[in-house]
Amino acid sequence: MIPQLPAGVDVTLDQLDRDGALREAGSRLPRGRFLGLAAGAAVAFGGLASPARGVTKGDVAILNYALSLEYLQSAFYTETERVAAVKGQAARAARVVGAVERAHVIAFRNLLGRKAIKRPLFDFRGTTEDQQAFLKTAVAFEDLAVAAYKGQAHLIESDAVLAAAVSIHSVEARHAAWVRHLFGIRPAANAFDEGKPRAEIERIVQSTSFVVARSRTRGRGGPRFTG
Amino acid sequence: MASPSASPALAASPAPALRIGQPVRLRAARYLTHWAPVVRSVAARSAPTVTAPTVARLTTQTPEQTANLVLALGRTTDAKGRVWTRVRLPVLPNNTIGWVPRAALGGLSAVRTRLVVDLERLTATLYRGGRRVFRAPVGVGRSQWPTPRGEFYIRNRLSSYRSPFYGPIAFGTSARSAVLTDWPAGGFVGIHGTNRPELLPGRVSHGCIRMRNPDILRLARQLPIGTPLTIR
Amino acid sequence: MPAATRRHIHLLKLRLLDDDAALRAARTEPCLTRTRLLQHAVVGGGAVIAGGVLLGGLPPVAVAARSPEQDVRILNLTLLLEELEAAFYADAEDRGALRGELAEFARIVGDHERAHVAFLRKALGDRAEPRPTFDFGNTTSDPNRFAVTSAMLEDTGIAAYNGQAVNLTKPVLKAAATIVSVEARHAAWIRDIVGQPAAPDATDKPATERQVRARVARTGFVKGSG
Repeated sequence: MIPQLPAGVDVTLDQLDRDGALREAGSRLPRGRFLGLAAGAAVAFGGLASPARGVTKGDVAILNYALSLEYLQSAFYTETERVAAVKGQAARAARVVGAVERAHVIAFRNLLGRKAIKRPLFDFRGTTEDQQAFLKTAVAFEDLAVAAYKGQAHLIESDAVLAAAVSIHSVEARHAAWVRHLFGIRPAANAFDEGKPRAEIERIVQSTSFVVARSRTRGRGGPRFTG
Repeated sequence: MASPSASPALAASPAPALRIGQPVRLRAARYLTHWAPVVRSVAARSAPTVTAPTVARLTTQTPEQTANLVLALGRTTDAKGRVWTRVRLPVLPNNTIGWVPRAALGGLSAVRTRLVVDLERLTATLYRGGRRVFRAPVGVGRSQWPTPRGEFYIRNRLSSYRSPFYGPIAFGTSARSAVLTDWPAGGFVGIHGTNRPELLPGRVSHGCIRMRNPDILRLARQLPIGTPLTIR
Repeated sequence: MPAATRRHIHLLKLRLLDDDAALRAARTEPCLTRTRLLQHAVVGGGAVIAGGVLLGGLPPVAVAARSPEQDVRILNLTLLLEELEAAFYADAEDRGALRGELAEFARIVGDHERAHVAFLRKALGDRAEPRPTFDFGNTTSDPNRFAVTSAMLEDTGIAAYNGQAVNLTKPVLKAAATIVSVEARHAAWIRDIVGQPAAPDATDKPATERQVRARVARTGFVKGSG
């Protein structure tokens, strides 16, 4: 007899944060840096010929927002697979889901071209390097992605963009259910999944401090090596 | 069943704006090395526990005021669920390895490159993904100031300084001269250009690895920070 | 789960979706009358279709153009699927042949599908199609057949909702989006229970109304309108 899965359990990034495991080094990035980049990039290249022809300004912003979340997810699974500390079914999920998230990233970048935001740098704070931390974080990421896509669906202007978004949205939900099952919680906690607005998603992502500034590895001072 | 043809059919979904291809599998993880910056001053210990002896203290900055880096060689989770990272350290004795809490490090970066300096043949060879992509003659330490042998890494890159002696670019490494321990800024071994190209290849330096300026410029285009360095 | 069982499920899947389905398709197609839809011009009980425009009749050519009237037609399509799923899981529970996590799955997912039905019926009001009668044969009494059929029904639901996303008015799209991801969770959950890849594809392909109705017809589960 398989033990009953705990009902209605939600793992959120907020909750991960409260565990204190993720915040040791504190925030090292000014607020607004991560997803704020989206708007900046779109404006900066607004005047240039774009491969994203026929996509409205509003849709470009939404696509870049989605891309920022796909970056986050694909980097998370890629690092997990490369570090290879996660084993068994969880490793298989990381491999399969990661391959899908990378395909999403490529598709977004191809569509957005020069309007695509840059890939940020991430510090996953050990969550890619430990079995339980990985599963817990994967659950939070996937549920977050589902809520994020859902929160945008009715705001998308172009039918072609909407068609793409909904076909990703349900795949993210499959991922969410899969990693929840591996983590040992109910894959579908409720009869209805509620969306979350962009501001809330961004606040949650920033609260993790997973997005960091690049460390300084270049200097201009005179070398004092042994010569 | 009422036939859908009794009224106009609901429109089919248009071709999606995103062309999402097949899932993208990763290349094999061979030749990959991870590095991370030290974001908190921390004691590196001989085992992944706070009670293990300290093997070195790590600061967040190098003497060159760049981020201090370590290579991440492995990891484990302790009984309290804390992740520890096994790291290659930029300290004497050379080749020291220790454990630090993962929380003292920043984000992991991966490189596929590896630099090998051969003290017998006086060459530097860069490999990417296991394939040779660069080779150049080098100058290394004289017999009284030998370039240390072992496993190290590239930890910073200096340029725009005014010192013809070091050429246009100087890479800092985690290797330290075992004899010039009172050298300013710790006696770290650099890989840099030179204003005396006629001396290369040769055993001519205080321990640093010198290259002709065109060679160091060519190397600089292909050598990411965090690249493991083998000196043999 | 033993490998032999997994192989069996795999074979069963092929049979269900191809041979059996083809045979069943030849039977009488379920009666899905839209008469009532045509008789009423106004959306009743508009919990979802807030601000729905009162229409004097059907739009002349309703292709692509979004309208409350088209919403009704789409929601009735998804209602059929939700009714089918709800009845399927209820039947599985009644028969009591499922054990362990499969039984838990049927109970919880059944609850969800019933909630979806209630939601859609409330939204449609008196524009809702009557509940058809169903016969699930042995698919609800055999664990393997149950798992395969469940995955197929959930996938059909996902493809139907995704296929109609562009045809719905925005308020209704917002509401429908809260359902489709739950169907996707069910689809992944049942696959992981039986050891199948839970989410192998990078996207979920949409299905047209015609394709959805054809898939439903091929199951042979719908016996007539209630």
